[in-house]
Amino acid sequence: MLKKRLIFILLYNDGYFMLSRNFRLQKVGDLRWLKINYNFSYISFSIDELIVLDITRGQRDKKIFCEHLKMLIDGCFVPISVGGGIRSVSDARLLLRSGADKIVINTPLYENESSHFVHELASEFGQQCIVAAMDLKQSATTNYQVWVENGMRCLENDAFEYLKELSEYPVGEILINSIDRDGTGQGLDMKILNIIPESLSKPVIIAGGVGYAKHLHEGLLDSRVDAVATAHLFNFVGNGLRKARESLVSSGIALSRWDPSVFESNISSID
Amino acid sequence: MAVTKVLVVDYGMGNICSVVNAFRYLGVDPVVSHESHEISKADSLILPGVGSFFKAMKTLRDTGIEQAILESVIGKGRKILGICLGMQLLGSHGCEDGDIPGLGIIPSQVQRFTPLEVGPKKVPHIGFNEVLSRQDSLLFYGLPRTSDFYFVHSYRMLADNLHGKAAICNYGVDFLAAYEVDNVYATQFHPEKSQTNGLILIRNFLRQ
Repeated sequence: MLKKRLIFILLYNDGYFMLSRNFRLQKVGDLRWLKINYNFSYISFSIDELIVLDITRGQRDKKIFCEHLKMLIDGCFVPISVGGGIRSVSDARLLLRSGADKIVINTPLYENESSHFVHELASEFGQQCIVAAMDLKQSATTNYQVWVENGMRCLENDAFEYLKELSEYPVGEILINSIDRDGTGQGLDMKILNIIPESLSKPVIIAGGVGYAKHLHEGLLDSRVDAVATAHLFNFVGNGLRKARESLVSSGIALSRWDPSVFESNISSID
Repeated sequence: MAVTKVLVVDYGMGNICSVVNAFRYLGVDPVVSHESHEISKADSLILPGVGSFFKAMKTLRDTGIEQAILESVIGKGRKILGICLGMQLLGSHGCEDGDIPGLGIIPSQVQRFTPLEVGPKKVPHIGFNEVLSRQDSLLFYGLPRTSDFYFVHSYRMLADNLHGKAAICNYGVDFLAAYEVDNVYATQFHPEKSQTNGLILIRNFLRQ
């Protein structure tokens, strides 16, 4: 039976890892700080996937990001999706050669020539390599609107229209994020799932608002949800993710299982 | 125990980084190469792969890597581990964009999951799923008979008429999750992405 997935998102901004609330960023620490305070190769044994997003507001230094990425994911044996500023096939290739298994695309999906770009990426790397991300905010009329460029620009049409278009694209899965709930710890906006058209039969990762294990539970219980993601760097690191995972499993959520203690001493001999 | 040289075949498609990191974690430093002469010197070959069967086979053929692999594996009996697309490339042929011959090492063809098979399930098959392995499997030694591994694929091979040891996963249909016969090993899932289950499997491969 296919298991559901618990995903952690790391938000990277110009060398630092960030906490986000409604897409406003607060600096938490750099890679060294992250490794000292939150040993990610240990934490990664509690999650099913890791997403690393370069949400740098200014000019992105892709080479430095890739170096940090390689160091960050050392010792992480889970799928790693990486995104932020991918505008060309060579951008994507650089990330895939730096340790990414999947690429996350957002803004370019909703621009002119988007179909051509996505087809180019799919033909080069395979459809299952591509995660289509969408950031949503409720408008005054309570419909959802799509915001691009790190949540700086609102698109004209209703989110439903863009989701319908996505059904035609060769992408592997969809990451839907609520800007309204982002970083609030108030729980996921489950109503977002109502606007996903039936024609969009791709795995869905829902994000935005997770503060506690019970929010993860709520998301994973829904049959329309394949994975839940959280970027809450404070609430879940340390033992937080492991405890959250244990509580999800004991409450009957079908998550994958493995024995994390097997390599605790990092056996280096194969004899 | 004799030191065996492990080579990861880098033909430009696949998460080489992750595969190499998994081997390094286990204390082995693999050679990464696409050169035929390097391939023929290696005791063990790892064939990773993500993406198009057609593109991969074309690359393997055009660069002479196909020939080098066949000489090593069939000619000299060297060990090989095919991962994901790498497993599919070991197959007889792929049915994406027409009929393309694979390396022909595993007599099974590669086809897309059909709507009849998966029903309402989403394709690609993405995530951790249960793999049922045999008691006498070498790859799965020390793992529970049913263990979770990470899959990400739209195409699958079936276990029909295969004489080696097959491990099965069900996604609407029972498909080939892993296979081992003589010096040939292959997994549809990514052991380097499957937490400790995957690391144990890779370690088992190294110990053969």
